[in-house]
Amino acid sequence: MHRISVILLKEWRESLRNKMILFGAIFLPLFMVGAAVMMVYQGKGIDVPGAQIALFNTALMYFLILPAVIPLAIAAYSIIGEKEQGSLEPLLATPISDLELFLGKALASVIPALILTWGSFGLFLGVSILFIGGIPPHALTPPWIAAIFGLSPLLSLFSVGVTMLVSSRASDARAAYQVSSLAILPGIVPLIIYTSRKTLVNLWLVGVEGLVLLAASSIVLYFAIKVFRREQILTRWK
Amino acid sequence: MINTNGLARRFGDVTAVEDLHLEVEKGEVFGFLGPNGAGKTTTIRMLAALIAPTSGEATVAGLRIGQENREIRQHVGVLTETPGLYKRLSAIDNLLFFAKLYGVSEPQKQAERYLRLFELWDRRDDLAGTLSKGMRQKLAIARAMLHEPQILFLDEPTAGLDPEAAKVVRNLIETLRTRERTIFLCTHNLDEADRLCDRVALFNTRLVAVGRPQELKERLYGRRTVIHLVNPAPGIEESIDLPFVKKTERVDNTLVVSLSNPEEENPLLVSRLVELGAKIQYVNELRVSLEDLYLDLMEDNNAPN
Repeated sequence: MHRISVILLKEWRESLRNKMILFGAIFLPLFMVGAAVMMVYQGKGIDVPGAQIALFNTALMYFLILPAVIPLAIAAYSIIGEKEQGSLEPLLATPISDLELFLGKALASVIPALILTWGSFGLFLGVSILFIGGIPPHALTPPWIAAIFGLSPLLSLFSVGVTMLVSSRASDARAAYQVSSLAILPGIVPLIIYTSRKTLVNLWLVGVEGLVLLAASSIVLYFAIKVFRREQILTRWK
Repeated sequence: MINTNGLARRFGDVTAVEDLHLEVEKGEVFGFLGPNGAGKTTTIRMLAALIAPTSGEATVAGLRIGQENREIRQHVGVLTETPGLYKRLSAIDNLLFFAKLYGVSEPQKQAERYLRLFELWDRRDDLAGTLSKGMRQKLAIARAMLHEPQILFLDEPTAGLDPEAAKVVRNLIETLRTRERTIFLCTHNLDEADRLCDRVALFNTRLVAVGRPQELKERLYGRRTVIHLVNPAPGIEESIDLPFVKKTERVDNTLVVSLSNPEEENPLLVSRLVELGAKIQYVNELRVSLEDLYLDLMEDNNAPN
């Protein structure tokens, strides 16, 4: 546990000095909050039944995309940065275990993603309540809250797993970031369901997506951990 | 301190290290010399418990590789070919990070100690990426030594350093020798190896030769005395005719005489030459450099082991 926290703090210290990561971590959540607030604000003037709820729920989607997007840059740099600096071998020469190293790096991406996602969701609710006359009735339902708080960790884990797998084969952080962006797709599933209007987002759907994400994250993380072995890193990584 | 028994590593069809038998004693500075691609880094990686051997076995600091890898990593320090520092972290943060990973009891104090030792204390808050190449190398060496390992694997420790910084590193290696630390030194600087190493191994996928540098030179070339003469008579080299002279070569006015015990045989040789009417200008021992030995042995892998 001690070594995991040492890795974690080192990753954060490095990330704070990386403009690309800082930009993603600060600008993106603020942009999403702004866009979501604007959407709710525009809905205020529409007098069509259900329109306000529809816009509010679409705005909520942003907070399912954030937990998948925020870790991309952190995780990509965390691996590619080590490759670029040639720092993996000295790191692997320490008594740290492969799993500790993996967990340290994975949590260094997942924790800020969750804090920023939930923080910006709170900010969005606060701004909506204080400045634009509150949340439309029946808009913020338990399934949406379950999605934002329950699916976010799984979305982040999935995203980190994909990024680590891609980064192990890539030599450029931007390329790894772009390819890993595909990991956002599962976060958009509720939006697709919602906008296709086949059904409303309900707890059953959130539960199913949660299970699918859990299975997908487990598979991705299993392979990521497998790739994250000393021998593999030193002999196979490019 | 290090014992290997038939250690080998293959990558697919490529053999990087084959049948390596080595013994490195405690407190020894052991030079591991070989061309690029000879398998030196692979050997270090196996001995530092970073990758597994394909076959054979080894113990490092009394611990078996493959079975006590984590403990081995705790007992060894590795300086890799490139410094591999975190460029966005300060010099002291780089050391603190590794000190904590190694479980050093007083990381701050230990980091300060090594920063001062390498004269980097004044630059402790500078980002590693802003330090000069020499400073980065010194910082990387400090990182490898931070947890006071019993064995240090140094891969080209003075590469890219200016003469002053290289001297600091060499002096440090000398100091470590007196403190009973074992140093496994990979270098292309053969003069450095000759000066620093108690023993050297010449390696090119397999072990070509191992021994004290002087011993190896004597084994390959014997001991030779060089005698400069003033206008020697033609055929003088054939007239020497002394039983202990193994071989005599003449190049212009110089004779190169192979002997087994020059301390005792040189006076007799000189007397004989004077007897033959030779005028002697200088008498020296022919010193063969480790570079000559290295080049000859690498050219012909059938040299004595």
